[in-house]
Amino acid sequence: MESRVLKPMLAVYVVAFILFLYGPFFVLWILSFQQGPDGGPQFPITEWSTYWYRQIFGLTPPSRIAPLPVGEALVRSLILAFMTMVTSTVLGVMSAQAFRRKFRGSGFVFYLIVLGMMVPGVLTGLGTSLLANNVFEITRHWYTTAFATHVAYTFPFAFLVMLAILNRFDSSVEEAAWSLGVSPWKTFRKVTFPLIFPGVLSAMLFAFTLSFDEFPRSLFAAGGTEDQTLPLAIYGTFSVEIHPNIFAFGVLTTLFSFALLSVYGILMGLSVRRARKLAMQEEIA
Amino acid sequence: MSDVTVAAKRQGPSWLILPGIVWMALFMVVPIAMICYVSFWTQTTFNISSTPTLASWKQFFSSDTYTGALWTTVRIWLIVLATTFIIGYPTALFVGLFVKSKTLSTVLLVVCVIPFWTSFLIRVLAWRPMLGKEGAINIILLKLHIISQPIEVLLFTELSVIIGMSQIYCVFMVGPIAFMLGRIDRNIIEAARDLGAGFGRIFWKIIFPLSLPGVVVGAIFVSVMVLGEFATSGALSGRKVNLLGNIIVTQVGSLKWAMASVTGVILTVFMGMVIAGFLRIVDLKQEL
Repeated sequence: MESRVLKPMLAVYVVAFILFLYGPFFVLWILSFQQGPDGGPQFPITEWSTYWYRQIFGLTPPSRIAPLPVGEALVRSLILAFMTMVTSTVLGVMSAQAFRRKFRGSGFVFYLIVLGMMVPGVLTGLGTSLLANNVFEITRHWYTTAFATHVAYTFPFAFLVMLAILNRFDSSVEEAAWSLGVSPWKTFRKVTFPLIFPGVLSAMLFAFTLSFDEFPRSLFAAGGTEDQTLPLAIYGTFSVEIHPNIFAFGVLTTLFSFALLSVYGILMGLSVRRARKLAMQEEIA
Repeated sequence: MSDVTVAAKRQGPSWLILPGIVWMALFMVVPIAMICYVSFWTQTTFNISSTPTLASWKQFFSSDTYTGALWTTVRIWLIVLATTFIIGYPTALFVGLFVKSKTLSTVLLVVCVIPFWTSFLIRVLAWRPMLGKEGAINIILLKLHIISQPIEVLLFTELSVIIGMSQIYCVFMVGPIAFMLGRIDRNIIEAARDLGAGFGRIFWKIIFPLSLPGVVVGAIFVSVMVLGEFATSGALSGRKVNLLGNIIVTQVGSLKWAMASVTGVILTVFMGMVIAGFLRIVDLKQEL
């Protein structure tokens, strides 16, 4: 049978594929340990050092290479991602709740929302800044116009995650609560929400990471330099000479994402364990 | 009112959908309508006024820079679509069909997703020390004596943009295809094999047609992202490759809002045609 030949061949191919995916990162990690401040962003490594990492944290004496302007941008990006996460998760849960029964025009509304993840950021960003400049005549800021476009982008993801969760949701527990006279809002808080919480966590993760890394929407919809988010600050270094500090920063942001995902994994594990514990208690009772 | 409707009302009152509709209308539909509207405005040196004119449209189609950007966008889109498919399909085949253990296929998918934890812009930038004249690829090829002169066309050319985009977007092909392949009933393949069909025949008659919805979803993902691109082309081509997205960015940079809007409308229309075309091939609602 061919699969005896084909499978190992494909396995080798997949290894090559993963090398292709990771190749640039290996180079990035290696070059982030370039000697500083004179070492350039290319091979060979003149001397291994942690200079560029220390420079990011301001631990090196001033040199001709300015440190990355990331401090305030990082704070802005984190706040923006947090705001976006909360808003789009709330909108996502609400909309998915509404979709649990068919209403007129639900097909249209579904596409309207899902379109938000398809339309390129260049277009929503451009349109929003046109509106802000010419119709509302407001100044663009990261926490107003950019925030609005970020939510229009991440809310569809949160919506789809919640839709998938609620589709598999067993509503008999809710019915039990209602038949005992519990109000719909209290039922949602005490019964529905704890059960869909893993989905909510996933929606939050999606929204946070997408917004944190969102670049085209911010480029158009945020204002000037006092509105720079992290991706904008990184983009600013594109046009000037590149130094290994941007590589060191890339490594650090990757580690930050790992930390974020670990927190997500731990929270997820805890909520699953709690759900199991509750189920076991019920069985005993 | 029957009990069923009461239950349904409590489950999800339909007013819950309103904030979502309003948000999407206000921050997606209206902005795009605004782009269409402004594309007919009159551009003065630093400003625009709402006097309707076709001047920007005429300028777009009479300038080689702008129509050239349109064709570059179409060309790069088609090439990247092809490369991501060619690079991604075998991987998806392995992950979705050949790997028997559920754990291993999950691990492989996670391995594919990990690069996305690095900022998009830094992922783009990481290709520079990879492809440059003194880059990693040239160093390795020189060491292996495969080449005697460093290859210079690797960076700041259209090729580097294609390589970068293929790497960044191929995972969006792998995911949906692997998902569809994973859902194929193994008994069908067994049955075909028992009846004496070779792998080639099984692949073309069963596996590939059943994976087509995944290919279409992947192609939509890749198309949408490549067509809206400007950062990769800007950073890896040294501004030599101008996509429609790059035109929009530079026009906005020089406050030519009307021209940016014309380009935006053309991009929107083209993208709509592409997505509609893909959805014609496969009826997604039926497949999912």
